[in-house]
Amino acid sequence: MIIENTLPIMLSRLDFAFITSMHILWTPVTIGMSWLLFFLEVAWLRTGNEKWYRLQRFFEKLFIVNFGAGVATGVTMEMAFGILYGPFSQAVGPFFGNILGFETITAFMYEAGFIGLMIFGWGKIGKGMHLFSTFNVALSSSLSAMWILVANGWMQSPRGIVLKDGLFQVTNWWHAIFNPNFDIGFPHMWIATVELALFFFAAVSAWFILKNRHADLFTTLLKPTLLALLVITPLQIFIGDELGREVAVDQPTSLAAMEGHYHTYLPDGRVNSGWHIIAIPNAQNDGNIFAITIPHVLSLLETHTLNGKVAGMDQFAPNDRPDVWVPFYAFRLMVTIGFFLFLMALWGNWLRIRGELTAEKLRRHPRFLRLLVFSGFLPYLAVWTGWWTREIGRQPWVVYGLMRTWQGVSHMGVSAEALWFIGYIVFEFMVWGGAWYFFSRIILKGPDLHSPVVGAAPSESSGGGMAQASFAKPTLNKL
Amino acid sequence: MDHLSDILRIHSALSTFWWILLGLFFIIYIVLDGADLGAGFFSLLLKDENDRAAVMSSMAGTWDANETWLVVAGGVIFGAFPLVYGSTFNYLMIPLMFTLWGIISRAVAFEFHVHAKGSRKFWGTMFGLGSLVAAFFAGIALGATLLGFRMTTENAQGIQVANDPFVNTVPHFAGTALSFLSPFSIWTGIGAVIAGGLAGTLFLCARFKQDDPIYKKAHHWATIFSFLAPAAVVITLIWSYAIMPDAAKWTGSGWFGWLILLLAILVSAYKMMSAHAAHRDFPALLWCGAIVVLMWGGMWATNFPYIIPNTWTITAGGNPANDLAILTLFMTGFVPIMIMYNAYQIWVFRHRITHLAGYESH
Repeated sequence: MIIENTLPIMLSRLDFAFITSMHILWTPVTIGMSWLLFFLEVAWLRTGNEKWYRLQRFFEKLFIVNFGAGVATGVTMEMAFGILYGPFSQAVGPFFGNILGFETITAFMYEAGFIGLMIFGWGKIGKGMHLFSTFNVALSSSLSAMWILVANGWMQSPRGIVLKDGLFQVTNWWHAIFNPNFDIGFPHMWIATVELALFFFAAVSAWFILKNRHADLFTTLLKPTLLALLVITPLQIFIGDELGREVAVDQPTSLAAMEGHYHTYLPDGRVNSGWHIIAIPNAQNDGNIFAITIPHVLSLLETHTLNGKVAGMDQFAPNDRPDVWVPFYAFRLMVTIGFFLFLMALWGNWLRIRGELTAEKLRRHPRFLRLLVFSGFLPYLAVWTGWWTREIGRQPWVVYGLMRTWQGVSHMGVSAEALWFIGYIVFEFMVWGGAWYFFSRIILKGPDLHSPVVGAAPSESSGGGMAQASFAKPTLNKL
Repeated sequence: MDHLSDILRIHSALSTFWWILLGLFFIIYIVLDGADLGAGFFSLLLKDENDRAAVMSSMAGTWDANETWLVVAGGVIFGAFPLVYGSTFNYLMIPLMFTLWGIISRAVAFEFHVHAKGSRKFWGTMFGLGSLVAAFFAGIALGATLLGFRMTTENAQGIQVANDPFVNTVPHFAGTALSFLSPFSIWTGIGAVIAGGLAGTLFLCARFKQDDPIYKKAHHWATIFSFLAPAAVVITLIWSYAIMPDAAKWTGSGWFGWLILLLAILVSAYKMMSAHAAHRDFPALLWCGAIVVLMWGGMWATNFPYIIPNTWTITAGGNPANDLAILTLFMTGFVPIMIMYNAYQIWVFRHRITHLAGYESH
């Protein structure tokens, strides 16, 4: 057994994998939806049409619950590197630590500095200032994603550094930041956040139309959402394919694991170009017990030729090979979801061309609406499975090819690791259960169509806090 | 050799610069979020769930930014002092874990409480308890850090292989999961709760209208805390002097400077208490902040040249000079900007509220 799969190392991996997986339930919604809320607010201010305002305020309620969960689980992330992976944090400090420092200063704090104004500032700051706050929240959360992908991309394809005195010292900042994995990995992740947020919008809208509540309002939202998805979903498939080919070049072990590709050559000496639909890897991790294989597809996917050579697991020492199970199936699930969501976007826009995309006529397509509600959950699963593929595919390395995972694990016993794991199961599920429960409460309650529109009251003034806050949580009156 | 000594001087200057900035971020965090945490566990003393909601409302627009100063401090430790980050956080695993669980509970309680019906009391309690646990264990972590820890340059997991390039280079934490635990660190945990209670109740006095029942209760408790806090400070100082080698400099050749610092703290405490008694709530809160600045500054000066007493010096824990230079060039300019937009956000939400704020909801 390779060292990474022994109990203390495995537990440290699980500890980190769990808090990361639970954190990424929230951040993509924040990143993607903040832009969508910004566009809704722009639409309201430009057209003066109240329906955009109502939609903005409604989704903002979901946004802030989601945001709170993201902050709650995110502070842990900032400290978990040092707690669980201290020696890793020290070794990669000159680059990775700097990047995380950049992230907290230029993104995390930037976002926090405007989120309060965005959520509770209605009526206390001017409309322009409020729009500016929403924009800043959107920009800062995207910046945050960028820095995190710089750091993680560098772990996948380390560049611009030299290992000296136990530290990865930076020799070229440009190469380290714009490492090959980041260049495609960041667009892939950023588009994923937008796709997730758009399907969040689409699913909620579909539910309301299905229930025949505010059907007109939500059909208004569904139209541009589906149109945006028609661009976003195929773009994501294209970028995903690019990333796969990048991984084939820079992380051949990860690619071999994703494809369950053990043998570079067939027994008769020809290149093994077969792509497995299903595979069952053996316990020695040197071959498949069973597989359903289509010839040529693997070469087509990775080299865009019929018989191009793709390095299999047999090209690498046994203790350099990642486990196949999770990358293989997680990857396939992610790809399936990507194509399914593309089909949903096509279906929706087909209905639109046919003139069926009105509140009245959509009710004749309950299957479409139900599948759209279901599609709201799928991007979450795609984000999870994508990251599991990425992180488990990189094993047994924490910095690919340079630092093994066990070399980065903190000094801690199995009992402390287990306490962490159990404790975080309790708290993260409390966050998850609570947030999704309150999502459902807010959705069931529906949008508030009756409170006065902010700014309609004549007493509104910038920074004054005089407006009667019948719309927001605190009522702030002067003494 | 001249070049080498030049680089060493640059490295020393830049790491000291970031050590000072780090002190600033900790001070801002303690002044702002210390008050939020204190107000949070003070809310456990309130009977009515709507009153607890009013306390939450008093910080609704700012708590996230206030808490984020801790993240900024963590990011700066990682960015400027990764060797300290990777060993100290490992050492502090258990107290930080409890602090983080407290922070999680408090953060989601803010968002859930306002929407809750049946679970309202549960989330109200999680808000208060989370604040209490976060403050207590953060205090423990601070006390434990002041005592330092043992390190080794072997593999942290004790795994030995031939030609491991990471062995015999960087020192890692080498104690146990419970090394942080000592009478002193438990005491600093209690001290943090007292200090947080004082800051929190003073903060609520400045946030609520003076005829409001929450104001009256907070004012009463602030008076109690304002007597407990100086006592706690005296105990901490005597205890520190007895066990910490660096505290010997208090009575060394520079005793005069330390005496002035002590007098400044006493004057600030007096000013705080008299402003509080006269119901000048905002000045009282500011004087409380001044005490934090003076005491944290004094602690930082006592530790110099160490960043972690007897464990990491500022220069030994710092990144290589090139990285510190990049961090300085690209990030220093953001520091005043961060302070400005935070100040603006706090200013927008400066008006006093009443306990009725808790009856409003989304």
